[in-house]
Amino acid sequence: MIELVKKSSQLFPAATLMQRSFMLISFCLVCTLAITGCTKKTEDQRTTIHFVTWKPNIPEAWEEIFSIFKSEHPDIELLREIGPHSSSAFHDLLTQKLKNKSKDIDVFLMDVIWPPEFGAAGWALPLDGMFPSSEQKKFMDGTILANTFRGNIYGVPLFIDSGILYYRKDLLDTYGFTPPSTWRELVSQSSAIVAGEAGKGNQIYGFSGQFKQYEGLVCDMQEYILSNGGTILDPETGKAGLAGKRAIEAVDFVRGEIIGKAAPVGVLTYQEPESLDIFVQGKAVFHRNWPYAWRVSNDPERSKVAGKVGISKLPHFKDNRSYSTLGGWQVGISNYSQNKDAAWEFVKFLSSTRVQKILALKAGRAPTRKALYEDAEILKSYPHFSSMNDVFLTAYPRPRTPLYPAVSNVLQRYFSRAISSPDINLLKEAVAASEEIEKIIAMEK
Amino acid sequence: MRLSLLTRERLFASALLIPCFLFVIAFAFYPIFYSLFLSLHKIILSLPHLGRPFTGLDNYRELLGDRVALHSLINTLIFVFATTILEILFGLVIAIVINRHFKGRGIVRAAILIPWAIPTVVSSQMWRFIFNDQYGLFNYMLYGSNTSAYTAWLAHPATAFMAIIAADVWKTSSFAGLLILAGLQLIPDELYEAAEIDGASSWQQFSKITLPLIKPAILIALLFRTMDAFRVFDLVFVMTQGGPADSTNVLQFYGYKKIFAEGLMGYGSTISVLVFFITFSISLMYIRTIGTRLFQEKR
Repeated sequence: MIELVKKSSQLFPAATLMQRSFMLISFCLVCTLAITGCTKKTEDQRTTIHFVTWKPNIPEAWEEIFSIFKSEHPDIELLREIGPHSSSAFHDLLTQKLKNKSKDIDVFLMDVIWPPEFGAAGWALPLDGMFPSSEQKKFMDGTILANTFRGNIYGVPLFIDSGILYYRKDLLDTYGFTPPSTWRELVSQSSAIVAGEAGKGNQIYGFSGQFKQYEGLVCDMQEYILSNGGTILDPETGKAGLAGKRAIEAVDFVRGEIIGKAAPVGVLTYQEPESLDIFVQGKAVFHRNWPYAWRVSNDPERSKVAGKVGISKLPHFKDNRSYSTLGGWQVGISNYSQNKDAAWEFVKFLSSTRVQKILALKAGRAPTRKALYEDAEILKSYPHFSSMNDVFLTAYPRPRTPLYPAVSNVLQRYFSRAISSPDINLLKEAVAASEEIEKIIAMEK
Repeated sequence: MRLSLLTRERLFASALLIPCFLFVIAFAFYPIFYSLFLSLHKIILSLPHLGRPFTGLDNYRELLGDRVALHSLINTLIFVFATTILEILFGLVIAIVINRHFKGRGIVRAAILIPWAIPTVVSSQMWRFIFNDQYGLFNYMLYGSNTSAYTAWLAHPATAFMAIIAADVWKTSSFAGLLILAGLQLIPDELYEAAEIDGASSWQQFSKITLPLIKPAILIALLFRTMDAFRVFDLVFVMTQGGPADSTNVLQFYGYKKIFAEGLMGYGSTISVLVFFITFSISLMYIRTIGTRLFQEKR
């Protein structure tokens, strides 16, 4: 080493001994880095893909899926990055990374409302080449439409969500009711049951749903508005329908009959988990949630009402039909991914029939592949899938625009104000919110 | 030519200060000027085809007419006012208590700092549980096992706002207390001895000796707390997400939503610039008051 330092003095005669040693050390460092860098590449032929996902409700099912992929694709190393459970927090994290063109994302989960935004922003890779329309036909139309934006498809539907009414079969039987078909019936049945149970010293609520100021509020409120014949946003004209008579009536109904009446005031702070908690503890007669709640509420370890749960279409208002909001998650590939082929291998695997089947049987997720609704094994666990098929087929999307997050924030603000303030002027608020939404939609042009 | 010793010293000192300046430029000035720059443009992440046109003061004009921004500004001001006053009051009490000599003072001093040491995200989550309508500790304290009386504190606009204030006061009173304690410890014991001999009551001792002498410390605590309270974000993010009915929406949270959720980089930056200018002028105001006071006392 000392020899080397001395020799280097011939190369840099002006440099002091200190400087020369420093140069030499840096040179050695660079060399070792370069060498180790190279060997790592030759040693490890595996491609690494990063999958951004959330913490699942039922982790065992996902572990099984990942281990199958690992054993079948030894050449691909799958790294999972766990994002927040809440859809909006997950969105903020993911878009932050995509905006910075992060190379640490190859495959990601997308909520059903994001493909227009991710497509327009250039974050999600158009999948038309790998996911041709012949393949798309095997999925439910609504989920394919949700992933399509301006003629390109940006994601493969993994599972579908749509609002469903859960009810306490045992209680309805005791009081001689059949599942309600209108919202008013739901309210009158629950007040009868709540009063009857209170007489027995059993304190319960009529209904629980999601009414916190967050994305889920938009989903729930859309179901009331549509099932009264109202609209939120006309996809053709871009006009907001919040101030329409039907929409106002529906919001007024939620404010007057649901919050603090059929449902406890606390629902104003509830997202899915809190509202489901009330139901699985046997403290609510009716409950609105996504399909995953079926498995949870029938799991004796997590639910006090296992085996006593019924499932039905959401109610509607008089002379109208029932609507469910379309939810669900998609798998997309980042435009900045450096291993797009390996990423597609993984997406193809995740959306395959057998993985969807595992997700359905073990995690209670409703498949997006039409064929699975005739699968004997799935129908055995979920007998309602065949009778409720049309709930999934007709699930209604939220407004589809690249600026959806902005639209949603206006809606959340309006709905939350409307249902938590008993004396606010609904029409005035609705007009103001409609103007704000139309202004946002106009920004697109 | 040889420079004088003094000049060389000065040059050397400036050279040593360069890293510090670079640090401040990179982490304080650059972000501020970049936000200013962004706030003069129309930038929408999800609509890249619009480019990033320069729009002058358009964003600021829009902000003036934005009723949600106004609403969150008012919320923020109420929050700042309420929390700062309560925190200084509680801080004063805490400081006076832990300034006394009693057994186990060390433990009490450490214990009082615990809320301040817990990350806000964690303590906000804890307060969310405390105010829960089904199993919340607060309900249990009020109503015991009479669960039918349990109230959903975070579901009503007014009580949700108070819950956030309570969480902030709980967390940062001890910080204000610590600053005031530093002021208390500077007061020499002789003053109290003299007052005692002159027959002053303890209230007189407090109002005539303690309070005037800890004024500078209180002002510094006020400065820190006002600026911190103005930038409140995490409490709202964890506890209410701005709801219900937007009653707990504050400026920083609104700006965050604009930038990170809606992708409106330009408009969101305008809100950050507004917050910056407000906190900046508040701190200027305080520094002036504190500065002159300290100066006069030194003379």
